[in-house]
Amino acid sequence: MKIITLLMTILAVGSFAAATPASEINRLKSDLIGQCMGGREKCWKFQSLDQIKELSVKNKTEDPQKRVYTIALRLQGTKDSAKYGAEARVEYVKTNLEWKIKQVGLLSLRKVE
Amino acid sequence: MKERSVLGALLLGVVLCACKSAKQPELGEPLADLTQAQRAQFDEGKKVFQRVFEPKDGLGPLFNSTSCAECHEQPVVGGVGDEIEIHATRFLAPNSCDPLFQEGGPVIQQDATPLLRAKGIEKEQIPPSATSQARRSTPPLFGFGLVDAIPESAILSHERRHGAYRDGIAGHANRTIDGRVGRFGRKAAVATLSDFNAGAFPQEMGVTTPSSPVEETINGTPVPPDTDPAPDPEITAEDIDKVTAFTRFLAPPPRQVFTNHTNRSLARRGQKLFARLECAVCHIPKMKTGPTGIKALDRKTVALYSDLLVHDMGAALADICLGQAHPSDFRTELLMGLRFREKFLHDGSAKTVQEAIERHGGEAQNARDRFKALGDKDKKALLKFLETI
Repeated sequence: MKIITLLMTILAVGSFAAATPASEINRLKSDLIGQCMGGREKCWKFQSLDQIKELSVKNKTEDPQKRVYTIALRLQGTKDSAKYGAEARVEYVKTNLEWKIKQVGLLSLRKVE
Repeated sequence: MKERSVLGALLLGVVLCACKSAKQPELGEPLADLTQAQRAQFDEGKKVFQRVFEPKDGLGPLFNSTSCAECHEQPVVGGVGDEIEIHATRFLAPNSCDPLFQEGGPVIQQDATPLLRAKGIEKEQIPPSATSQARRSTPPLFGFGLVDAIPESAILSHERRHGAYRDGIAGHANRTIDGRVGRFGRKAAVATLSDFNAGAFPQEMGVTTPSSPVEETINGTPVPPDTDPAPDPEITAEDIDKVTAFTRFLAPPPRQVFTNHTNRSLARRGQKLFARLECAVCHIPKMKTGPTGIKALDRKTVALYSDLLVHDMGAALADICLGQAHPSDFRTELLMGLRFREKFLHDGSAKTVQEAIERHGGEAQNARDRFKALGDKDKKALLKFLETI
């Protein structure tokens, strides 16, 4: 039973990720530049697109004024530095009929390589 | 005669005004030259800095302290405290450092709220995969806004290739995990004051923020939901900005000027020895802030007595790695405000300044040996000079 639930979850997440258009992923990536998440030693400031090695959308909720993504990231600060896996919550708000990024919250972070 | 008296009085007035405007802020006061709005931000930020959190406000479930001011309290708000906290990371030679975020590192919280204690958890444990742990004392925050405003290029300009300096002093900038130049923290693993404050709330008080909206885990395990009554985030971004304004505008400590001639000349002699012994190669007396829109921080000289680089301090002091800082690498300690401290070195384990100097090793070994070789009178002079900082 547990295996079936796990497989269904993997399929659901996989199909959601696949369903996210590339344009939306690219928009997310570019909106992240200049944003900070976490703090102190556990702080990530997105400085360039090169730092975002992978980005996938795990979940997305939306109401007329707010859009919230849960995303999975693979990050690398510089060419020679360690890679980190992260999950983040990205919140957008609608202002003047346009979605604007409001904040990025770090949900989890780990060194992967 | 009357004209002369008026002129004299005017001149005296000008001199007195000049003296007044040049007066250094007292310890715990804001920088001079703040606008009214910035002064208001400082005052508001000080209130948040002193706010005592309880579980209903977001404290914990794991935490080290209940307010910023609990640790930064002596001799005034923004200063030092007697708390020692525990950090742990994993180092694999030659260059791999894992801060163990996923296992609760690098800050290992030492206290828990009653709801978490009721579950049998009183503190966080050292992660099993940690290779070492460290003890950390609280640094004073005076003048940190000026340190924050020093350009990265100024820090990098002091980097030397290993062995390039004749005394074996190398030193390099540490880098944050996202690749920026670090300057704050005993291993210089944090880039900005704002980053530091944003992380201090979740890591020291267990208070979630918009940029860290979930509770710190208990060694990687999420906290039991019924132990965390406050809704997340538990503090607003605006309140964190206020705390950053307080720490940014907190003036550096005023220099001690001895009125006694003997002490004054002893300190002058000590200052020369500080340079001659080459302490000042790493403890660089002054750096300059970059251009900024904040007049009080704009192109100001800051007497920090540090190069903000990390240096190998020898095996005896080694503890954890962090970023590109190896276990024996430490950022040159800022000596600004040294005379207000009661414990010395990164872990507060040295009872006197002299003991701290004598425990320098690694790149600082030659300077330490030169200090140890001084006669009593010269040692006294150097220590007297350090009392002026």
